[in-house]
Amino acid sequence: MKNQLNIFKNALKLVLCLSAIIFSVSCEKAFEFDLPEAGSLEDNSLPTADFDYIPNALDFRTIEFNNLSTESINFAWDFGGGVTSTDKDPSHTFVAGEGTYPVTLTASDANGASTTVTLDVDVVDVFVPLPVTIINGDFDDGQNDWKFSSFTGGTTSPFNSSSDGSFTNYDGSDNGAKTAGAKWTKSTSAGAYLSSNTRYAYQAIIVSPTDATRTVKYVLEYEYAIKTPAEQAGVAPGGNRIISEVLDGHFSDGADAVASTHVSQFVADQANGKTSHTTVRQEFTTNASGEMAIMFYAVSDVDCYIDNVKVYAAD
Amino acid sequence: MKYIKFLIFAITGTMFVSCDTDEFLNPLPDSAIVADSFFQSDEDVLAGIIGIYDAVQGVNENTESSSIAYNRGVQLEYLLTEHRSDNTRSKTLEGSRADFHRYIVEPDNVQSEDYYQSMYEIIFRANNVLEYIDNADDANIDKYTAEAKFLRAYAYFNLVRLYGDVPLVTRVAGSDEKELLFTRIPVATVYDQIVLDLQAGVTHLDNTHKSRASQAAAQGLLAKVYLTLPVPNYIGARQLCEDVINSAAFALESNFSDVFYNELNDEIIFAVQYLSGNPEESQGFSSEFTSYSRQGRQDGLNIVNPNLAEDFIAFGGNRTAASYAAFGDDASLPVPESAEVIKFLPDGSDISDTNLPTYGAAPANAGNDWIILRYSDVLLMHAEAILAGGTETTNSDAIDSYMEVRERAGFDPIADRPSILTRDALLIERRVELAFENHRFFDLLRLGVAHDVLGAHATLKGYTSYNIRRLLLPMPSREINLSEGLMTQNPQ
Repeated sequence: MKNQLNIFKNALKLVLCLSAIIFSVSCEKAFEFDLPEAGSLEDNSLPTADFDYIPNALDFRTIEFNNLSTESINFAWDFGGGVTSTDKDPSHTFVAGEGTYPVTLTASDANGASTTVTLDVDVVDVFVPLPVTIINGDFDDGQNDWKFSSFTGGTTSPFNSSSDGSFTNYDGSDNGAKTAGAKWTKSTSAGAYLSSNTRYAYQAIIVSPTDATRTVKYVLEYEYAIKTPAEQAGVAPGGNRIISEVLDGHFSDGADAVASTHVSQFVADQANGKTSHTTVRQEFTTNASGEMAIMFYAVSDVDCYIDNVKVYAAD
Repeated sequence: MKYIKFLIFAITGTMFVSCDTDEFLNPLPDSAIVADSFFQSDEDVLAGIIGIYDAVQGVNENTESSSIAYNRGVQLEYLLTEHRSDNTRSKTLEGSRADFHRYIVEPDNVQSEDYYQSMYEIIFRANNVLEYIDNADDANIDKYTAEAKFLRAYAYFNLVRLYGDVPLVTRVAGSDEKELLFTRIPVATVYDQIVLDLQAGVTHLDNTHKSRASQAAAQGLLAKVYLTLPVPNYIGARQLCEDVINSAAFALESNFSDVFYNELNDEIIFAVQYLSGNPEESQGFSSEFTSYSRQGRQDGLNIVNPNLAEDFIAFGGNRTAASYAAFGDDASLPVPESAEVIKFLPDGSDISDTNLPTYGAAPANAGNDWIILRYSDVLLMHAEAILAGGTETTNSDAIDSYMEVRERAGFDPIADRPSILTRDALLIERRVELAFENHRFFDLLRLGVAHDVLGAHATLKGYTSYNIRRLLLPMPSREINLSEGLMTQNPQ
C-alpha cells in the first residue's frame, strides 16, 4: 500500500512537471510573435512609381531611363515586345526607331506593396548637324588658312589677295564700302590656262556624316563677281567662270585634290561687274567619313572675285 | 520628518514642471518654430526685421562649434551649391562636408539639414514679424511688410531649388498643425508665393540700403526667379533687369578685386554684412575655403577644380588673378590641380609668398560680406532674358550687357565683341565672373544643362554615385521622422 502511494506520488510529480513544461512552452509560443510587434506601426509610406528618360547621345533609339520612384527598392520594367528589366536605371533600345512606346514601371517595397505607372516614351531623332566654321571666310586675313600644305607641280598660293571684295560684312550687315576678298586673273586661271601658276583655294571641313540611318545635307555659300566686258575684254574658252567644288576627303597635296572626284561642283558665270556680287548657295550631301573639303578656282580672261565663304547645315 | 508631506509635494511639483516645459518629449519640426514673442511698437517691429537678417547672417562655426543644426545658413551654402557643381571640391573625403562634391549626400547629412533648418528659421522670423506688423507706424507698415516678405522669398527660393517641393508656411503655425508643417507643396505653388512676396518689394521698397532689402534687390531677385520658373517669364525678367540698369544706382567696379574688398561698393545690390573679429557678427567661410593652411575649424573646402582653372585661363581675363591662387607645388603648374579661392580673404591676408601665405589676426572671425546680388549678375541676367531660352542671339542689347561685364575683365570692346551671343558663352562668362559666389549650380539648372554638364563632370572625376536624382538634395531625415508619414522623400 505504501509502495502504491509512493508510485502515485511520483506519478503526480511527473505529471506536474510535464504540465509545467508544456505550459511554459505553450506560453512561449503564445507570446513569441507578440513581443517584437508590440508598438510597431503600419507602413503608410507606400511606393510611388515614376520615371524620366534621356536619349543616348550616340544613338537616339537607345533610351536611358531615370527612376524617380520613391519608397521602393524593387523595380519591374516592361518595355513592350516581351522585353523586361529589374534594374533601377535600365536602358533600352527601341530598334524600330522613331515612335511612341508605352513603358510600364512597377515599383515595390519590401512589404510587397507596389504601384505601377505606364508612360509614353517618345523616341525622336533630335539630330543636330555639326556646325562648320570657315576660317578666314571673309578674306580679311589675306591668304591665310586657304593654302594646301604642298602642291606637286603647282603652287600653294591660293589666290590674289584683293581689296575688291563684297560690300557685305561676314555677318550679313552692310559695310558701306568694299571689304577684302579673293581674286583670280587670267594668269592664275585653270582650264585652258592651266599651268604651274594656277591657283586653288582650299580648306578642309568636318561635317556630320551621311550613314545608313540618315542623309545629311549642307550648303556651301559664297558671293562672287566677274568683270563685265565693258570693264575688261576677253572670254576664256568655255566662258569666264569661277568653279566651286566640294571634295570627298582631306588632302595635303593640292595635286591629289585636283585629281580627285568631287562630290559637288558649281559653275558661277554671271558677269555683273567688279564688286557687284552674286550669292551662290550650293547644296551637297555629306560623305560617310564626315571629312570633306571645299575648293575654288577660276577659268577666266578677266578678273573675278569671291568673298564671304560659309558652310552650314541645310534646313 | 513631519515635513515629509510637503517635501513629497515639492519634489513631485518640480518633476511636473520640468517635464511639462521641456520640448524634450516634443521636438519641434524645423519648419515650424512656434511663436512665443510679439512686437508692440514700431521700434519692436524694426528690431524684429533686423532679427530676420540675423537669421540670414547665420552663426560662425568658430563661435559655436556644435555640429548639430545650428543655423549656419548662408555660411555653409557653398557646400550645397559650389561643391555640387563642377567648380570646386573638398580636399578630404572624410566627414559629411566631403559628401557634396561626390554626390553622396544622404538624408541625415548634418550640413544639408542645417541649411534647411536655417532657411525655415528665416521664414519663421519673417512670418512672426508679419503677424504683428500692424503695431508699426502706419507709414512704415508697407515697407516693413515688403522687407519681411523679401527675406521669406529669398529663403523659399533657395529651398525650392535645392529640395524641390517643400512645406509652404506663410504664417506662424502651432506645432500641432502637422498637415501645414510637413505637407510638401508643389514647386509651382511655392514659386507663386515667392513671386507675390518679391512683387511687394518691387512696389514698396526704395534703394536706401545695400545690406537690407531694397527695390533693386527685389527686382534683381525677382528677375532671377522669373528666369528659373518652370515656365519662365523672360519678358518680365528683361524688364526688371532694365529697371535696375536704368535706375543708374549701380555700376561695375573698375577693378574686379574691389568688388570683394571695398564693401558695399557701387556694384553691390544686396549683401550680408559681417564684422571682422566679432564672434557674434563674423563669418567662418573665409577661413574654411580661402586658406592654404588651416585657419579655422575646417580647411580644404571649395578647392578649385582644374576644369574651372582652365576656363579662367581662357575666358577670365584679369579676373583670374583676383579669383584663385595656387600655393606650394601647384603654384608652378600651368593649370593647378588644387587652388584656393582668394575672393573672400580674411582681413590682413598676405598671399604673396606662395609657400607661406598669412591670413591676418582673426581669420576665423572674418568680416568679409557675403554678396547675394551684384550688378554684373543683373547685366548677365539681362542678356539671358533676351536669349529667352534659345541657344543664341544677335540682339545688340544682350551683347552690350554681356560685353560690359567682359570689358571690365580686360577684354577689348571691339576685337572681343561677338556678333552672336551663345548660351554656352553666357554660361562660361557667368562661371568665371561669379565663381565661388554660389551661382554655378543654379545657373546649370536654370539653363537646362545641369545633367549634361554635371554628368560629364562626374564621369571625368569618377564620382560614380552621380545620377540625375542627385540634382535634388534628399529631404532631411529628421523632418521625415517628425512628420509621421506626411513628408515624402525625394527619389533616391
